Amino acid sequence: MKNFIARCSVVLFLCLPTIIVHAQQRKITGTVFDEQAKPLPGATVVVKETKTATVSDGDGKFVLSIPPSGKILLVSYVGMQTKEIPLGAQSDITVHMQLAPGNLNDVVVVGYGAVKKSDLTGAVATLKGSDLNRTPSSSVDQLLQGKIAGVQVTTGGGAPGAGATIRIRGASSLNGSKDPLVVVDGYPWGDAGNLKQINPEDIESIEVLKDASSAAIYGSRGANGVIVITTRKGKQGQHRISFNTLQTVSFLANKPDVWRDPVEDATFANEAAINGGAIATDVPYIGIYRPVGTGMVYFPSIAELRGLDPNKPKWPVNTDWVDLVYRHPYSQNYTLTADGGSDKTRYAISGNYYNEQGMVIKNGYEKYTSRLNLEQKLTNAITAGTNVILAYTKAYGQQLGVGRSRIWPVYDSTGNYFRNSNTDFGNPIALANQLLNKTKTTDVMGNLYVNFRINSWLQFRTSINAKSGNSIQDQYDPKNSTQRALDNKGSYGSISNGNYFDLLNENYFTITKDFGKRHKTNLVAGFSYQKTENRFSTLTGQNFVNDVMQNENLATASTMLISNSLQRFDLASWYGRGNYTFNDKYLLTITARADGSTKFGSNNKWAFFPSAALAWKAGEEQFIRNLGLFSELKVRASYGLTGNQGISPYQTLDRYGSNKYFTGAVFETGFGPGLAGANDEQGRTIVGGLGNNSLKWETTRSLDVGVDLGFLDQRLTLSADYYIKHTSDLLRLKTIAPSAGYDQQWINDGEIENRGIEIGLNANVINQANFTWSLGGMFTKNTNKVVSMGESNQVFIGTLYESVRQQISTYTVGQPMFSFYGYKTAGIIQTLDEGIKAGLTGVDAQPGEVKYLDLSGPGGKPDGIVDSYDRTIIGNPNPDFIYSLNTNLRYRQFDLSMQLYGVQGGQVWDFQKMTASRWLQRWTPDNPSTEYPRANGTRGWRASDFYLTDGSFLRIQNITLGYNLKTDAVKFVKSLRIYLSGNNLYTFTGFNKGFDPEVGENGINNGAYPRPRAVSLGANVVF
Amino acid sequence: MKKIVYRYILAAVLGSTILPACSKMEEQPYGMINSRSYYKTADDARAAIIYAYSILPEVGYYSRGYYIITELPTENLTQKGDAGVGNFELDELRTTSTNPDLDNIWTYLYRGIARANAVIANVPGIPGMTDAERNQITGEGYFLRGLHFFNLVRMFGEVPLRTTTIDDASQIPIAKSPVRDVYNQVISDLKAADSLITQERISEGRANRPAAQALLAKVYLHLASSKASASPGYDFVANPDEMYALAKAYAEKVVTGQTAFALTPVLPDIFNIDIYKKAAVTEHIFDAAVDRSGDREGSFSKLPNMFLPADRPMTIPYNQLKPDSATINIGQGWGHFRTEPGIYFSYADNDRRKTQLIVSSYTNNGQTYQLDINSSSRPFTRKFIDPARIGDATSANSPIIRYSDILLVYAEACGPTADGYAAINKIRARAGIGDLQPGLNAATFRNAVLQERAWELAFEGNRLFDLRRTHNMEKVLVQQYGKVITSGAYFFPIPQRELDTNPLINK
Repeated sequence: MKNFIARCSVVLFLCLPTIIVHAQQRKITGTVFDEQAKPLPGATVVVKETKTATVSDGDGKFVLSIPPSGKILLVSYVGMQTKEIPLGAQSDITVHMQLAPGNLNDVVVVGYGAVKKSDLTGAVATLKGSDLNRTPSSSVDQLLQGKIAGVQVTTGGGAPGAGATIRIRGASSLNGSKDPLVVVDGYPWGDAGNLKQINPEDIESIEVLKDASSAAIYGSRGANGVIVITTRKGKQGQHRISFNTLQTVSFLANKPDVWRDPVEDATFANEAAINGGAIATDVPYIGIYRPVGTGMVYFPSIAELRGLDPNKPKWPVNTDWVDLVYRHPYSQNYTLTADGGSDKTRYAISGNYYNEQGMVIKNGYEKYTSRLNLEQKLTNAITAGTNVILAYTKAYGQQLGVGRSRIWPVYDSTGNYFRNSNTDFGNPIALANQLLNKTKTTDVMGNLYVNFRINSWLQFRTSINAKSGNSIQDQYDPKNSTQRALDNKGSYGSISNGNYFDLLNENYFTITKDFGKRHKTNLVAGFSYQKTENRFSTLTGQNFVNDVMQNENLATASTMLISNSLQRFDLASWYGRGNYTFNDKYLLTITARADGSTKFGSNNKWAFFPSAALAWKAGEEQFIRNLGLFSELKVRASYGLTGNQGISPYQTLDRYGSNKYFTGAVFETGFGPGLAGANDEQGRTIVGGLGNNSLKWETTRSLDVGVDLGFLDQRLTLSADYYIKHTSDLLRLKTIAPSAGYDQQWINDGEIENRGIEIGLNANVINQANFTWSLGGMFTKNTNKVVSMGESNQVFIGTLYESVRQQISTYTVGQPMFSFYGYKTAGIIQTLDEGIKAGLTGVDAQPGEVKYLDLSGPGGKPDGIVDSYDRTIIGNPNPDFIYSLNTNLRYRQFDLSMQLYGVQGGQVWDFQKMTASRWLQRWTPDNPSTEYPRANGTRGWRASDFYLTDGSFLRIQNITLGYNLKTDAVKFVKSLRIYLSGNNLYTFTGFNKGFDPEVGENGINNGAYPRPRAVSLGANVVF
Repeated sequence: MKKIVYRYILAAVLGSTILPACSKMEEQPYGMINSRSYYKTADDARAAIIYAYSILPEVGYYSRGYYIITELPTENLTQKGDAGVGNFELDELRTTSTNPDLDNIWTYLYRGIARANAVIANVPGIPGMTDAERNQITGEGYFLRGLHFFNLVRMFGEVPLRTTTIDDASQIPIAKSPVRDVYNQVISDLKAADSLITQERISEGRANRPAAQALLAKVYLHLASSKASASPGYDFVANPDEMYALAKAYAEKVVTGQTAFALTPVLPDIFNIDIYKKAAVTEHIFDAAVDRSGDREGSFSKLPNMFLPADRPMTIPYNQLKPDSATINIGQGWGHFRTEPGIYFSYADNDRRKTQLIVSSYTNNGQTYQLDINSSSRPFTRKFIDPARIGDATSANSPIIRYSDILLVYAEACGPTADGYAAINKIRARAGIGDLQPGLNAATFRNAVLQERAWELAFEGNRLFDLRRTHNMEKVLVQQYGKVITSGAYFFPIPQRELDTNPLINK
């Protein structure tokens, strides 16, 4: 190893002839590492006193002669904090550099260009790829949680391969997409949510464009904000190969709250049946046989279950479904990367294999991705490059329930899966083993660009970008295995195909020119054309002879169904941006984009989105400098328009529907006015198809005021923004008179408002050579309100829940989106008299039932009857605020980081509220509970605030402990880091113990896929 | 070098500016038909009428909704305990404008009208087909529009009369028309159908000339009896006798003027899918047709499930009067509809329409189960069964016009004449209950026909309209069966959704 270093030193000496060597000087060697403990080439190493300098080589190593007067070594690198290292007696020095969070010289990637952080005028947040938690995650989306102020990330559960819901500054559309636009290396890919094609380890940086000024360059797709992802490129003068691996074992984070004791379970079931008015023979556990299929199933009595029946042995079955269904899944992640570059060529090649096992058996997700990035300087003026990404994923299996009674076995006496009735489809082991559910996707994306440096101030860049992919889902439900099989005449098989192709041509000029010393300008102007085609087809077979071939030969089904469709749309755009800086203090940005889309109505083909921003670097003013307080003080303000396309293709045209009718021998097909679409809350098909030539985009007007503060040479930085987003021309399905033969027509009207505050804070508390400690945090508060929706004050959205026979989420004028609607309750009825006085009748008024309140009536006043007039807005799932705290500690070779993530306020509609442990506390005449109702198998539950629970939580999201090995120890290895990472370690919450309080945007807990507690062991090796 | 660079750029800029100039961002639709590409050929005309028919067996119409609206308010059916609030309102005759079931039927009726309007507006202009076929398809369009408006006016009274296709949202606001105008439209549509359709029987599920004539007879009878009994809303009818005469004339054309439809001698055979769908002569003049091979409810029917109890799969004798006859497996249902004691006990014990067409006991696994009229699993009609059902998918058509219905229309229109007696006694003879008492006066005779219709056409969606047109809602449902009528006795309220979205509805 020493020889190796010596050889390097020789090379260095040859390369750097400017360094003068004095024989009497002391020579030291050292290695510089970046924040990921990878060798950092190109770092400047200076002796503070004498300015003697060198730079680190491709392996991060340097050799420097120290004059006798040299006491302190300064190590610096762009974007990193400069380190001061007191020189002692040691001759081999290891330097760990750290990112400078508030560094003003950082370059921030914005749409169609990049600017210095200090020159930003809009609200743009930046995250380095290295700041992402190292946890098993199939896409970057989940990893953004708690990282950026103003960005809310929610995951609906922990299913393998699941994405996340991302909202930037709240949701601002009723029916259009609410997802931000994702732009990868300049190519707008589409909605955020599951960016599976990009390996998170390939990400160099993530920029979030939050305000109108920064997002307006993406025009009719910018209203939900933009996430700009830049992938890693090779660095000049460095050739390295790195290997990263992460091995993860996961555990259930929430212990399922299910019946532990069959006797309690059966007692409850019998009580529920009796209270529900079942006749004697219909009470389940009374020791009788009941017909199932062609045979009989014995339902034991409670005495048998207890082992107290003198004539029968104790019931032998006590199945632990939790143990059978859940496991300790083992997941793996491997990435191999080679990158580097010379003065003409830069390259990065990487490959990744990701395998995530689900918490439940026979469920998992696998992914292979690879990426090639190549850039070549063709001439001094022309640079060309390409970027190619291949991705393949495979998901299999499904979630399984564990709430099944322990009384039942997995298999019956003949070895078949046990069922207790003809429509018992709840045996999770049967489902896991019998159902086929497999989805495979393949994606290919690539681009090719040429950059012309025409002269010193003018550049032109043109690119061709394409992506294409397909997905195939195979499904098969064997004979009588599921309700779906039954609904499909016995068995169900299908193949669903999705295909997409997208082509984009971008061309733009960039002008960078200074006029005198005081005037600086930067102009971008360009044109793009994008074509997109999405194609779907589904082949379905119903009722197969047997289950041997599954869905492999759908033509053998007794009934075959086919559906196919294609969507295509083009987007043509002109865009431009001008930045003007006066005296390096006053900054002005003007941005505009004009979008023409085939999706828009013929009367509104082109949309225009202008914006402007002003910033004042007050910190540069002499009188502020004189205060000696701020290292940065910048005030920003922006205002502008962005849009949301939100329309599916063809919505502006009149469209006919088709239907089949049986005429004795065959079904004949007919066509005519009225296109049947989705079903409404009553299960009725909704008919559309009436065109609207004036249909257009949604427009969001946003105002943003922000301030960036830096103290103590940027060791403490703070960024705060206040915003108001007002979205109008909301795309909305207007309810039209049913006598027209149509139910709905797409129109533009309605308004939503989001306003909020976001604060990001970073502090480098301790910054010494061997010991650093930094703290970061963010706070986001968004208030959302539906301002108007045309003729309706309220629309119901989401699923119609069979248990409460209504949709529970609404858009209501004057309320936040997703507000809950239902009855109010006041505990549990204790006496029949109390129930009747409350306005309830019949069974609903019985003691032990939920006491619903009479709030109103047909006349708008309480009428003594609890009926649908008494329903009202009862809750709001939107959090009051979200916050997070990050801390990083580094001591010599060790590093320790922690992230906390919290959500405060926001109610959860907990359909899983009545868990087994709560049923044990149910109302009985002997236990007059005021909290939990009696057992009643035929209770008609009403949508009410009985279900609502505070969803606040604070989660220890991640703790990582790392150790960076001294690299001298291993040959050929430039650096080696091993670390232990724990994810989703603990959640502080008052929520239902058996479940995670983070349940998704609409705040409904319906028993989501459990989010695992993961413990990972990782290693990064650089060769 | 620079020159080359500029040339590239020039080409790129030109290319990029020409592209949008060429394209006006016009949309090229895929996989869909619309007004630009349709109603061009004879096949388009055929497809247009098929589309118009296909509304009939939809869930919201004859495959469920129609029965909910027309049967629950009467003494025939009530509903299971956890049915929707709309069912309860109908059953208890306290309907409101927000009733979801009424909203549903209203919606489907007008969807049907929109589809029929499209046929009537477009098919006459389609070239390249014989006049006979063009006339027949147009005539079927008129028939369907007449049927939908007849249903509408009997349910809701004054309704918007939409007779043109909707091409733009500006056409949506429209006022209600008086009941008289709606009937004039119904009669003119059905007369057009009668003159344009010449075939006696086209195919299963399609309307033929006897169907048009039968429906005209029903329309005239409705007008005649409504006026005669002073049922609300029918003051405009000038002369009930003239209407009875027209009803008789059209019913006669069906009863004696054709050979494709006649009474089926044995009651279970009327509702035997293999017989009524295939026999040369059937009792089903016009059905909403379905087949179990269909791909969704609406192309197959789940209506049997609404009637069949949910307890367990059932086996019954094909002919319940002969317990040793071949058995059929009819499966199990949802027990949504429950037979009311009112209709059940109104039958004479020997009435075959009870003993053969209502199932009071069944077997399962060799064990016999009795159905109790006061329980949740009650005796149920076997008019809607399909022993060859595949899962929930059945081929049980929903009969819209049956021969026995028109025979009774004929009897009622005739009054106590020899022809009238002969007609009703044919029905009674088949049911095994002997002849009607002779020598009745006109009113008593017509009341007897009304009762006969209740027995004969039970559960088929006639009773509510029969009670309404004879001004008998209170007399029968309140006085005889002890119901309470709060609202919607003679006309249901127009759905709130229409009131909210059609600004002219009350102008």
